[in-house]
Amino acid sequence: MDLTGLKWLQQQQQMVSPEFLHILGSDGREELRRVESYLGNNIYDTIDGCISRTSSFQMEPVKNNEDNRVIALRNKRKPEGKTEKREKKKKIKAEDETESSMKGNSNMSNTETSSEFLKQDYIHVRARRGEATDRHSLAERARREKISKKMKCLQDIVPGCNKVTGKAGMLDEIINYVQSLQQQVEFLSMKLSFLNPQLEFHINELSSMMADPRYFPLHQQGSLDYSVINSNQTTSLNALKMETSSSWDVHSQCLCNNLRTDSVSSFFSLK
Amino acid sequence: MERQIMNNKKRLFSVEPTELSPSEVFTRKYTSHLVPALKKLNMDKSPSPINQLTVKHEVDKALALSAQEFAWSGFLLQKLSSSNNPTTTTSSSSNGARILEGACKEDEDGEIEEKLSELRKLLPGGEEMNVEEMLSEIGNYIKCLELQTIALKSIVQDTT
Repeated sequence: MDLTGLKWLQQQQQMVSPEFLHILGSDGREELRRVESYLGNNIYDTIDGCISRTSSFQMEPVKNNEDNRVIALRNKRKPEGKTEKREKKKKIKAEDETESSMKGNSNMSNTETSSEFLKQDYIHVRARRGEATDRHSLAERARREKISKKMKCLQDIVPGCNKVTGKAGMLDEIINYVQSLQQQVEFLSMKLSFLNPQLEFHINELSSMMADPRYFPLHQQGSLDYSVINSNQTTSLNALKMETSSSWDVHSQCLCNNLRTDSVSSFFSLK
Repeated sequence: MERQIMNNKKRLFSVEPTELSPSEVFTRKYTSHLVPALKKLNMDKSPSPINQLTVKHEVDKALALSAQEFAWSGFLLQKLSSSNNPTTTTSSSSNGARILEGACKEDEDGEIEEKLSELRKLLPGGEEMNVEEMLSEIGNYIKCLELQTIALKSIVQDTT
């Protein structure tokens, strides 16, 4: 949708009554909301926002980050302002002014405004036309939008959620996924308990191989031949890769690659 | 010279220090907790066969210890330490038939509430969180579970 089309939509929304919104239906309203936020002042990275709330635990791998940023820029969060009625009228002016500036500063304002949001004590919500502006419903709406934002994050994490829409379906998917993961863990630990005697043997073998200077000549120069160790590891991890890619996304393959270095180096105590 | 040779052959780890992503950090912590614990189990109980539940206990403990920045790990640790006989904390509850009715407006919220409460049961400590917290914690929990399954799979496969 080009800019003129967006502007037209924006104007349409200003001029019409709640009935129009009703006719548009929820999809149309969503679209209008997106339009508003696109023309609005503040850009707000949803993915980073919801994860950074708990900790700086950004779990998205590098590959997916770019996609997420593109999506975040397209579906920008609605602009936030004071919870007062006059904001409704101010909105038209504000959006026209900021339209041009937004194009230039979109990248910069990303990080600036998101840090601003985190610093603010209370939540500013802009009242939209046709919606109640008393405190309770605003707070309620803010809360609901937080929740739906988190649901969107979960949608990215849980595979196969894209096709399902609506809270109930998604919650179903999430529940199924968590249960299946837990069952897998149980099954694997059961398997592990059966294999445990052999495991010890293998660990001893592995750790003794690690200590052997022929295979890991860290302090000396000379030919480094990892092929012996690799033959044990690569076959099993390749099989693991094929297993996981069928059920999960690419990111689990990246994790496999990471695991390969990690499980070996953890025996090492090399940090 | 050494670097060239290393580049030609497959390397197990890189020469330069790499920045660790959180998933790597978690996996490292997890394996470093679990593997020595398993080894210890082996050495202590070599005469008698190893109890499945004990292994499960260790598995859960390793999970909780390697993810201490999250709220659910604290609850999980509490559960583990409070039970003397290690019980299965992540019970594979048979879900039975969840009736999926066509949702009319009045029932929709009730359904969603039901599902949320089910999710709460799955997450350790879910009962004490409010909805927003729980949703973000579930995201972390899912990620850690995924990493845990990958780690366990590779440990199991390495022994076979």
